[in-house]
Amino acid sequence: MARNSFRSHLSLLAEKTFKKFKKKRPLIVGLLVLAIIWEISTYFLPPIITPPLKEIALAIMAIFSDLDQFKHLLATGIRVFVALIVSFLMGALLGTLMGTFDKVREYAKPLLHFIQGVPALSWVIFAVIWFANVEFRIGFILLIVTMPAFALYIESAVRGVSLDLIHLSQAFQANRLQQFRMIIIPSIIPEVISSWSVNLGAGVRVAMVAELIGSTLGVGFQLLNSQAVFDMAGAIAWTLSLVMLLSIFQEMISFAESRLLSWRPKGEHS
Amino acid sequence: MKDELHIKFQGVSKSFTNQGGDYFQACSELSFEVNKGEIVAIVGETGCGKSTSFNMLLGLQKPDIGEVRVLGYDPFIRDDELKGKVGIIFQNDRLLPWCNAVENVALGLKILNVSLEKRLNIASKWLKRVGLEGFETSHPHELSGGMRQRISIARAFAIEPKILYADEAFTALDELTASRIRKDLLGLIKETEITTIFITHSVSEAVEIAERILVFSRPGRVILEINCKAEKAKNNPFNKIEGLVRDGLSLAREDMLRAGTAEDVTAEDLKLKYEV
Repeated sequence: MARNSFRSHLSLLAEKTFKKFKKKRPLIVGLLVLAIIWEISTYFLPPIITPPLKEIALAIMAIFSDLDQFKHLLATGIRVFVALIVSFLMGALLGTLMGTFDKVREYAKPLLHFIQGVPALSWVIFAVIWFANVEFRIGFILLIVTMPAFALYIESAVRGVSLDLIHLSQAFQANRLQQFRMIIIPSIIPEVISSWSVNLGAGVRVAMVAELIGSTLGVGFQLLNSQAVFDMAGAIAWTLSLVMLLSIFQEMISFAESRLLSWRPKGEHS
Repeated sequence: MKDELHIKFQGVSKSFTNQGGDYFQACSELSFEVNKGEIVAIVGETGCGKSTSFNMLLGLQKPDIGEVRVLGYDPFIRDDELKGKVGIIFQNDRLLPWCNAVENVALGLKILNVSLEKRLNIASKWLKRVGLEGFETSHPHELSGGMRQRISIARAFAIEPKILYADEAFTALDELTASRIRKDLLGLIKETEITTIFITHSVSEAVEIAERILVFSRPGRVILEINCKAEKAKNNPFNKIEGLVRDGLSLAREDMLRAGTAEDVTAEDLKLKYEV
């Protein structure tokens, strides 16, 4: 009896794994093709241009097994995560105010568009000149680059909340806080998730650029080191580690999306 | 002894001006009263202030002149006096798409801060009463239009309100479904003896449900009042009472032609031009 149950559990697990693989098959096939092309090119090009895959794999393993190296990846991850949380909270507050009050929107929106128009690299330069503290500098850059997108996404979502549903809650005499909790927050969740997906990529890229200047900790700093000693395998390994970190964050967002938007009809999930 | 007054419109006028400066008078010195336990239907042509009156009853719009009182309170002043006292059924079901059927029915109870267990219990009972037992965990997109409207009826009754507003509650449904749900709703209204205001385009629907019918003219005011209860007590057939309402509508039409307010505007035009 127990053996049968174990077997059915095992077959269910195998089925689930196969389904997951099937979903990711295009990505896996694409990466395999890229790896084969890369490995072939190592026979024709010098290792400084295309180092062998084995060398890259060893460098990646070293990053994840050596705490002294891993702390750099962790530092970048924590910086991005904390900065995005702060940026989201500020953006959500501003976006909600903009979506609710016309006057706030009238003044804040052009300013946010202006901030978005300034290249990220310019913010890096400004931050280096303005702030001596490296952590504060990186935090500032991440905040200034990602906060406008959060605010604009949420402003648009708040403005798009169904007036019918707002009137429904008003008709039931819901107070402002109840309206916000029961109608506005659930209505804007899809846009909040989209804003996180967009800002996550931007955040990781900007964090790396910010770490290139003046920082002694983080993936950006390690990339700069790799470039200084012409360690191509190291540069690729750090880049791939960062991509893996980004994938973990993306998976977390996908998980949140599947939980929070499970009510949606199938096919509406992004 | 005078009946307890539940709803009072006294000399209410309401107008809108759109961004282009066009002026539109929705209601003009509108006055009527609804007593406790009465079932009153409001009929009239499009643009005669039915929905504006409805919005004023809900406190969504404030009258320019005059006073609106619901259970003696001004609905526009949100001071919790009317919380849980008014149930509403809209033309479209207005269900929360992220909530399942039972959570949707429990919305009003949640606003009243009823505990989770209690409100889900009450909501389940109401779902059963409207014939949707077994659909508790279904989301709105999984249900038919008729089922969704039944949920919105259950949602309105779940808070045990003193007054029920229904704004063209069956317009979005096919006639067969509408007729079935109308019958069930009337049963619930009679059973709970709830004061009901029913806005409708359908003369037969008004006659079937109401004890009293108010015929509106444009700009919104009562041009004729028909006591259906008395007519029904005289054993007058429905089609005769319907004839009286149609006469009232003709009277309203003549009144509009005299006043020059009879231009044929559609509900959509009015929404676009005068929505606030």
